[in-house]
Amino acid sequence: MNAWITVAGLLPVLLRAAIVTLEITAGGFMLAVLIGLVFALLQALRLRPLQVLIAVYVDVFRAVPVLTQLFIIYFGLTEIGIRLDPLPSAIVGFGINGGAYLTEVFRAGIQSIHQGQMEAAQMLGMTRLSALRIVILPQAMRVVLPPLGNFVIGLLKDTALASAVAAPELMFQARTLVDKTFLATQIFVAAAVIYLAMSLPLGYLTRRAEARVARGRR
Amino acid sequence: MTALAFLFAAVLGLVLALLRLAGGWVGRVAFLYIEIVRGMPALTLLFLIYFGLAPLGIVLHTFAAAVVALGLNGAAYLAEVYRAGIQAIDPGQREAAQMIGLRRPQIMREVVLPQAVPIVLPPLGNYLVSLLKDTSIASLISAPELMLRSRDLAGTYYLPMDYYLLAGAMYLIMAWPMMQGVRRLERRFGRGRLQGGRP
Repeated sequence: MNAWITVAGLLPVLLRAAIVTLEITAGGFMLAVLIGLVFALLQALRLRPLQVLIAVYVDVFRAVPVLTQLFIIYFGLTEIGIRLDPLPSAIVGFGINGGAYLTEVFRAGIQSIHQGQMEAAQMLGMTRLSALRIVILPQAMRVVLPPLGNFVIGLLKDTALASAVAAPELMFQARTLVDKTFLATQIFVAAAVIYLAMSLPLGYLTRRAEARVARGRR
Repeated sequence: MTALAFLFAAVLGLVLALLRLAGGWVGRVAFLYIEIVRGMPALTLLFLIYFGLAPLGIVLHTFAAAVVALGLNGAAYLAEVYRAGIQAIDPGQREAAQMIGLRRPQIMREVVLPQAVPIVLPPLGNYLVSLLKDTSIASLISAPELMLRSRDLAGTYYLPMDYYLLAGAMYLIMAWPMMQGVRRLERRFGRGRLQGGRP
């Protein structure tokens, strides 16, 4: 029982680390959305060599574990003289990795919109790009929302891997405290509870957003 | 490690899905398990099992701990996959089976589950791919797999770029054929792949 009281005293440290977890999640998410959106749009423009390049990026980055990618960015790049701090490495790593997933998600969203819409927009004199931007994307957003929500939750949990490149997030701090106090059970349970406290509300929000979108679509 | 954890997850996941659909307090317990395990990172679960159980006198070998953790984690995901597959079967089928006098376990085994298989197969394949990649986190508790060996070598020769790229290439060689297989399954069963993200 005493151990639990000790851990309660360490809670502020863990909570501060949880904020770093959220920072990595937010940073990685923004980068991934940016990459995913741009690449999906480029793919929809149907320029052959570009399409192949993007398809290779998507497949390669989805087939290699994030942990390996993080190691390449954090440890590997030092070999060619690029030294990133843990936090930026984590954000870049999760961003590039997530970008591959989100390219697929946005692509599926864009493809789910009936082709006639693109043709109609082009009939009205829009270029492919402006048709995508003004006509297709806003409608695709609905389709994209649920997988996007799932992606954020997955990303939040994946940030635990950033502990392996010494980014000072929740899991890293938990491991450090375990090394100092040897209270492995209590501290890891506390970390798990904090993750749950972040991911369950996020899951609830995603479901609500999905329900709203479903209602809007009849 | 991937194969063992997959078997573990596939079986436990099916049990969980059936329990959850059975309702009552068993269903609620299964639901709670699924929500809690899906809400925490696999790494946290792994550390809980490997380091967290040690003070309670349960000391697992690194390999066993990794299989158990990835299996427990995967079971929660697969339970949802199975549930979706089972619920996708038209309730009329169940009613018709009842009409001709089949009992409930019989209905599940002979009518519902066989039809759920093609629905469940593509997400099951996706899970296998992500499980293969997730085994890399077992290196963090020093389970002797690909990522740990790469770290050893990278540290020994101080060539991190080369060895981690090599590790990446090896994962690619293993995962890519699986991904193609999943794609083929998806095309064959004519289901869109909207779920994106990680399962």
